[in-house]
Amino acid sequence: MRDLRGVCGAAVLLALAPLALPTYGMTLLTEALILGLLAMSLDLMVGYTRLVSFGHAAAYGFGAYASGWLLLHTSLPMLAAIPIAALLAGFIAIGVAWICTQASGVAFSMLTLAFAQLLYAVAYKLTSVTGGSDGLAGIPRRPGPLGLHVFVTRNGFYYLVVIVLVAAFVFCRALVRSPFGAVLRGIRENEAKTVALGYNTRLYKIAIVAMSYGLGALAGALYAPFAGFANTELLFWLLSGQVLIMVIVGGSGTLIGPILGAAFFLTVQHQLSNYTEAWALFFGLIFMAFVMFAPEGIWGLLRARFRRNSVLPEYRSDVAGAR
Amino acid sequence: MPLYAFLVVQSVNALSQAALLFFLGVGLTLIFGIMRIVNFAHGAFYMLGAFIGYSAVRLTGSFWLALALAPLAVGVVGALFEFGILRRLYRRDESAFLMVTFGLALVMTELIRLGWGPEALQVAPPPVFSGIVMLMDEPFPTYRLFLAGAGIVVALAIWQFLERTRLGLLIRATSQNAEMVHALGTDVNLVRSTVFGIGCGLAGVGGVFAAPLVTASIGMSATMIIDAFVIVIIGGMGSFPGSLLGAVLVAFVQVFGEYYLPDLALALMYLIMLAVLVFRPGGLLGKEA
Amino acid sequence: MTLLALDDLTRRFGGLVAVDGVSMRVEEGEVRAIIGPNGAGKSTLFNLITGVLKPTRGSVSFAGESVTGLSVPRRCQRGMARTFQLTALFPEMSARDNVRLAAQARERRRWQWYGGGAVFRDAGGRADAALGQLGLSAIADRPAGLLSHGDQRLLEVAMALAQEPRLLLLDEPTQGLSVQETEQAVATLSRLLAESRLTVLLVEHDMEVVFRLAHRITVLHRGAVIADGPPDAVKQDPGVQAAYLGGFA
Repeated sequence: MRDLRGVCGAAVLLALAPLALPTYGMTLLTEALILGLLAMSLDLMVGYTRLVSFGHAAAYGFGAYASGWLLLHTSLPMLAAIPIAALLAGFIAIGVAWICTQASGVAFSMLTLAFAQLLYAVAYKLTSVTGGSDGLAGIPRRPGPLGLHVFVTRNGFYYLVVIVLVAAFVFCRALVRSPFGAVLRGIRENEAKTVALGYNTRLYKIAIVAMSYGLGALAGALYAPFAGFANTELLFWLLSGQVLIMVIVGGSGTLIGPILGAAFFLTVQHQLSNYTEAWALFFGLIFMAFVMFAPEGIWGLLRARFRRNSVLPEYRSDVAGAR
Repeated sequence: MPLYAFLVVQSVNALSQAALLFFLGVGLTLIFGIMRIVNFAHGAFYMLGAFIGYSAVRLTGSFWLALALAPLAVGVVGALFEFGILRRLYRRDESAFLMVTFGLALVMTELIRLGWGPEALQVAPPPVFSGIVMLMDEPFPTYRLFLAGAGIVVALAIWQFLERTRLGLLIRATSQNAEMVHALGTDVNLVRSTVFGIGCGLAGVGGVFAAPLVTASIGMSATMIIDAFVIVIIGGMGSFPGSLLGAVLVAFVQVFGEYYLPDLALALMYLIMLAVLVFRPGGLLGKEA
Repeated sequence: MTLLALDDLTRRFGGLVAVDGVSMRVEEGEVRAIIGPNGAGKSTLFNLITGVLKPTRGSVSFAGESVTGLSVPRRCQRGMARTFQLTALFPEMSARDNVRLAAQARERRRWQWYGGGAVFRDAGGRADAALGQLGLSAIADRPAGLLSHGDQRLLEVAMALAQEPRLLLLDEPTQGLSVQETEQAVATLSRLLAESRLTVLLVEHDMEVVFRLAHRITVLHRGAVIADGPPDAVKQDPGVQAAYLGGFA
């Protein structure tokens, strides 16, 4: 419950941001929140179920292309194109998840990467639909329905992103604290035992992968009208890697950590890229350091400092089971 | 061209491709067999081999020297990485290895980009093999023939190494029962570092061999790791003959698939991997799941 | 009635026959111990019964219905629950949460993706009851990974109980326990079995434990049944004594 008050506080701060930040800052913040949504969606898989996906860029890119295409070639308003793109992605992700969960461990991760690479290659070839290596450009933020155009402006779109992120966060939080979430936790800590208890873990894994990819696609679907374009960079494995870094460095298994990780990543990227071309290298090294020495991430480190009565510093009592 | 001639030419072509894939896959499977780690950075080591090879050729003017030096350098980098970083993670679960080697792949990709620039680099094949030879009355690049031959030679060499040398025996023993080997007084840590280095070195060999054919480029890392993984999955993780079989299978599917079903060739490979994962999760020659 | 029936159950691993034509009937309410020297095939037999392995030949019937083709979760839902030889728990979750997850498997809305108040309450109640039966109420809030080995073994039994099974399969429950811990475990189990009248299949090495808990003993040697009967009869069986090389009188 303490968490929820913090979230409300954060939501208020976010709502007030346009008053304090310059245009440049607002653009950065909007992108950070979109990436934060992407990172949080990956956390459902990596942090809560220990299913490492190397292909999350596929969800992002697919969502962006889908909403971009809908906005360019139909007269659907933005508020319809975005959810449609996300739902479509989630639906397809069920099939992908069914295939990937045929394997487990490393093989699972490689299958997610393989699918992402496949999508990347397809996007290059399907020039008629995706614009090939040029991608889709000039994606409009179409107002509507019923003439609703408050979200079309820069600040208006920012508020749309904030609303979507907060809603997604509330959804994810409810999910991980639910009975479903308790089973995910069991899968994370000892899948064989969870099976032995009578759970069909495959179905749970398929469900969480589909939801995770669907939310990732939602982030991508927001990105297209935000940036006005969608291209194959969004599907490239480097982006998958960057999102994974955001999750780990921010703090996996916490939902909030990845959002912080995204903000951290984006901020440092923008600052560092003014000085050096090597910022990606810098991040790779930070990532490795966190994996080795601080797997609980920034958020985990912060919380450990303020937590007083836990037996194990890494015992997380906020996930499905807290009283 | 009559059908049999076409088949022969393309088969030799596929064999040369298989050689490249074999260099890539055998290192990965060796590392997995001993250490139960999947080295996500394996494609990056391959790529490093290609780039160091490029520089070595420019510096010394000799492809052969590059072939000797580059894999050595790559192997040393690999061994150092195992010594400095992987060793600390043995008590953690497998996702930690996956992520650390993934981080390494990113770091290496960036270092290579910073060191050699983002452009693809051309490497000239050794003069003695840079010509054309007539195969079935059709011109065929000598280099590919050389590659196919080199693949066979290296495969035989590795086989003999595993069967007959002391280190090879140690490797096979450690892959079956590391604790026992340790109890017998062998420094398992040293074996691990050595094997990791050798595995990466082999990937480096593949990179050097590949450079004249495909040019050295940044994108290699991601594509090659998938290829390597598909081979090792199909052949069976930790199985040396499996990596051979996997490489040959994938190469033939790629070469003939590209000709008959160009758009589906890529998907076909993934389909095979999928089929193997479903029906024989241990790989065709690996241990039963 | 016959709760579990095995007919000519066989499992090969390449050339090795791990379980060889085992036929067995376990009656409801019975406590049946399965013993045998190392390598006799006891764990493999458990794996065949619970569905972890598929038999090369033969069948498994549970409560009159064939379950040979069913997956592990399906068999659990029919009423089988099992503990493992190598302790299998959720180390970062509290003991109570471990058992609660086990109890949740029996809830109709176990997959509910929101809320869960009612589900957690009911499952939690059954978890507390199971912990109480095993004498573990005091350590309910400690992370399972930090419990003593003895408590961990009992926690696994509590989890199996929380699944409300018809057939409980215990795979070497006292393994790795000190003499004192074993004594405590046997006392707890003995009381538990007397009160609940569960059907139990028990693999054990410790003969003292077997004689105190079991109604009937089946002896395996090299994958095949070489003796089957009440404890006294089995104790005196010469074939059994020979198999154990040194007996256990």
